[in-house]
Amino acid sequence: MKRSKGGGDEEAPRHNGSAGRRKADQQQSDGDEGGSDIGPADLQDDDNDQGLRREIRSKYRDLISSVQQNREDMLSPSNNKLTEVLEEANKLFKDVRQAREAALDAQLLVVATDLGKEKASQLFSEGTAFDPTAFAEHLLSFMGLNRLEDDEDEQQNTTNGYLPQDAWHRLARRAECCFRTAPSFHYMMGSFYAEPPPPKQRIERQRKAPSKEAKRIMPTQLKKMEESQQEATEKEVERILGYLKGYYQDDPTSSISYYEFVIDPSSFSRTVENIFHTSFLIRDGLARMYLDEEKLPCIAPVEEGEVEAGGSTSRKQCILSISPKIWKELIDAFDIRDSIIRPPNTQND
Amino acid sequence: MTQRKRPSSTQSSSQRRHTGNLVAQDEDEDATFTQPSTSQVQRGLEKLTPAQVDQKTAEVVQYFLVKDQKKMPVRRADLVKHVVKDYRNIYPEILKRAARTFDQVFGLKLVEIDPKNKMYILVNNLETPDKASPIRSPSNPKMGLLLAILSVIFMKGGVVRENLIWNTLKKLRVDPGEKHEEFGDVRKMVTDEFVRQRYLEYVRIPHTEPIEHEFRWGQRADAEVSKAKILEFMGELHEQDPKTWTQQYRQAHSLPNSSQASSSSSSQR
Repeated sequence: MKRSKGGGDEEAPRHNGSAGRRKADQQQSDGDEGGSDIGPADLQDDDNDQGLRREIRSKYRDLISSVQQNREDMLSPSNNKLTEVLEEANKLFKDVRQAREAALDAQLLVVATDLGKEKASQLFSEGTAFDPTAFAEHLLSFMGLNRLEDDEDEQQNTTNGYLPQDAWHRLARRAECCFRTAPSFHYMMGSFYAEPPPPKQRIERQRKAPSKEAKRIMPTQLKKMEESQQEATEKEVERILGYLKGYYQDDPTSSISYYEFVIDPSSFSRTVENIFHTSFLIRDGLARMYLDEEKLPCIAPVEEGEVEAGGSTSRKQCILSISPKIWKELIDAFDIRDSIIRPPNTQND
Repeated sequence: MTQRKRPSSTQSSSQRRHTGNLVAQDEDEDATFTQPSTSQVQRGLEKLTPAQVDQKTAEVVQYFLVKDQKKMPVRRADLVKHVVKDYRNIYPEILKRAARTFDQVFGLKLVEIDPKNKMYILVNNLETPDKASPIRSPSNPKMGLLLAILSVIFMKGGVVRENLIWNTLKKLRVDPGEKHEEFGDVRKMVTDEFVRQRYLEYVRIPHTEPIEHEFRWGQRADAEVSKAKILEFMGELHEQDPKTWTQQYRQAHSLPNSSQASSSSSSQR
């Protein structure tokens, strides 16, 4: 196969087999070796051929792939790469001796011819050629591409810039003018929503959940509170009873003023606590209150023998109230300086 | 029934003799469905009340409208199996009435896009507006992409190798190898969805290694898309007179919405 290139007159004789013109020349020059078919010189020839052949095949493959990869670019009328490829192939062909390389040469020819045919058709078609690349550029502008300022690199394949969100919608609206698409059928007010609403169930479940948790927490807390409260109250009550008895035994004849007993001049809240705890004593019948000659309340412990079984007849109930103002007035009126009931030492004040 | 008249084959001549109606234009037989003759249709009609026939017609109309939402063509076999059913003996009459309903009530045209396989689509019968419609209905961005593809195919003579389309799309920032934020799987959309809708044809080129395909206009595109309008759009984009593309211009204006031009002149390729 030979490509005419206007004046190329190198003949490359084709022989099957490794014997070529070179070998024939060598045999002629090595007159001494005469009849031997294979000599060291021949082997060297074969080696060169192998390496050379591989090189040739590799270059052919490169050429073929370059045509296939860059097909779009080489199609452009301004691109002359195809001519360069053919010139390169011509050079390679000079060294082709065997069928294998020739087959590659044939493959390259097919690919190049196909491309050449398409390029030629661009020239021959009437009117303006259509360039998809230019078309793409125009479309991008139509869709509203915002080009960036710095277009320094002219060689780049893609234009700088970003497309707006509605780029394709713009094109679609323009497309509506070209298409006779039947408008899609839709119910104007939409369709009914077939699924039943599930929210009711959800609300019920949510309500149940917190109450369960609340119940769980409550018992543990309650227990603690009751214990501490009960213990503290009982202890306190007994302590106050102790004070009361002690005070009474010092002087059994004189009555103990109730006010003097419960009021703590330094703390209103402790005064209230004292009243609270003292009431337990009275409730349980361990102490009694009475009015003395001056109609002031007094308190006295109950002798053990005096407790009447079931003594409901002598029991009376009343409600005591005290405010800080009254508390202060009492302190002034009775000139209470110390509290009979010592403040408790526990942390729970 | 069908809006396009086909040249009659020998089978139809016997049917034609019976009739005053232009009914039996579908001569080919489906595997499951035999086109009833006109006399059979007449007899069938006599046994039914007008209300029944109207009801069946309405069902066919509704079936078409719903199928058209996805732009999938309707096969006659499906239509007969799912909708027409027992009324198949008067099928041609029903289809005729349905076509009339589409035309008069909806402004749509029932078009047979595949005479061999008996496929139908609905096409807008009204004139396309020159400018975009004033009604702000939501537009489908896929139509924009489709326009770009159809334009390239048309301007390149009606057939292009798939690589040309993929490369052009890449320049438009739509890479078939990647997931596009608007279109998703682009390759699938172009080679599967558009093809099933009959907007495009995606055909394998024989003897190619690795396998390559070529794109052509599909039958729906032939029926729906105006080549003249596309050329007009090209003129706007390139700021040229559409007439400068002489071959495309000739093609666009020779027959309105003509059938696919697998082009006669080899120089187009």
